[in-house]
Amino acid sequence: MSDAAVVAEQATDHVEDEHAGHATSLNLSNMKLAMWLFLGSECLLFGALISTYLLSKARFLTEILAGNPVVVDSISNPTLVEEMRAAGSVEPLFDIPFTSLSSFILLMSSLAMVLAHKAISEADYKNLRIWLGTTALLGSFFIAGQIAEFTAFKEEGLSFTGSLLGSAFFTLTGFHGIHVSGGIVMLMTLLVLSFKGKLNQDRAETVELVGLYWHFVDVVWVLIFTIVYLIP
Amino acid sequence: MSNTATPSTEHESHDDHAHPTETQYWLVFLLLAVITAFEVLWSYLGFSGPALVVPLIVMMLVKFVIVAGVFMHLWFDMKMLNGKIFTMAFAAGIVVALAVYTTVVATFEFNV
Repeated sequence: MSDAAVVAEQATDHVEDEHAGHATSLNLSNMKLAMWLFLGSECLLFGALISTYLLSKARFLTEILAGNPVVVDSISNPTLVEEMRAAGSVEPLFDIPFTSLSSFILLMSSLAMVLAHKAISEADYKNLRIWLGTTALLGSFFIAGQIAEFTAFKEEGLSFTGSLLGSAFFTLTGFHGIHVSGGIVMLMTLLVLSFKGKLNQDRAETVELVGLYWHFVDVVWVLIFTIVYLIP
Repeated sequence: MSNTATPSTEHESHDDHAHPTETQYWLVFLLLAVITAFEVLWSYLGFSGPALVVPLIVMMLVKFVIVAGVFMHLWFDMKMLNGKIFTMAFAAGIVVALAVYTTVVATFEFNV
């Protein structure tokens, strides 16, 4: 093979590699591997936040049941305190049907995301835009629900700085909400790129990577929904 | 010739294992929705202690595995050459997170 042919072939490989997200010698995409490592590290973040919440909840309940005036006074609604003492849990604080609806919306957004990835893999750009938009919209509904929930908690007297439970709860769910919001920004960026004609089948991996992030956010909510809301 | 994988190899290795169809994705979503509904129902049935917590944890884990396996394609990537590395990267994070949780709980439990 002549030198010119070798150079041309290497140049072609380089361009192709860029589209493949710089595949590693493991025959795997570097970008995808990096995303999985990032998601693995995110498990640590949420693991720590969930642990902190569980410990804070236990400490808060002990103090509430013992009638510690400082902790009792941190909740401005006395009826709520009585309900928590009677139930022996923080369950009266939560609106389970409302949060269940939010969980359902987030699950549905995961379906829309996976369908968006399928659409770009099949070069079906119309459906790609529909499903990307649907995913972002459902994510926005979830965030709106979270804002409504936070507002209701605030009215009940549970604030970020008022009690240990409030700090742990708002930090955990707030961090999750920030992740969802970040995902919505990514989805909207993809949507704009698609309308500009810069998101074609060669870039399917980009949609897949955003999808991985989005599904991870969903899977974290699966844990939060059960551990925080359903288990008293 | 480059010794790294070209997109064609990448796509070939992806195509070696067929991803679910659109209908299958919808069915998986319905399954997740049913499990979620059942979780909520279970929490309202008045059980307490392990009778409440264990089924909820099991259902939560089932949902976790389904989302990670099907929507995040881990089940299908596992069939790729070296594809298990993705699962291992994710699992490593989960294992360390669980270790962190256990350590934190133990610290508070035994540091009276």
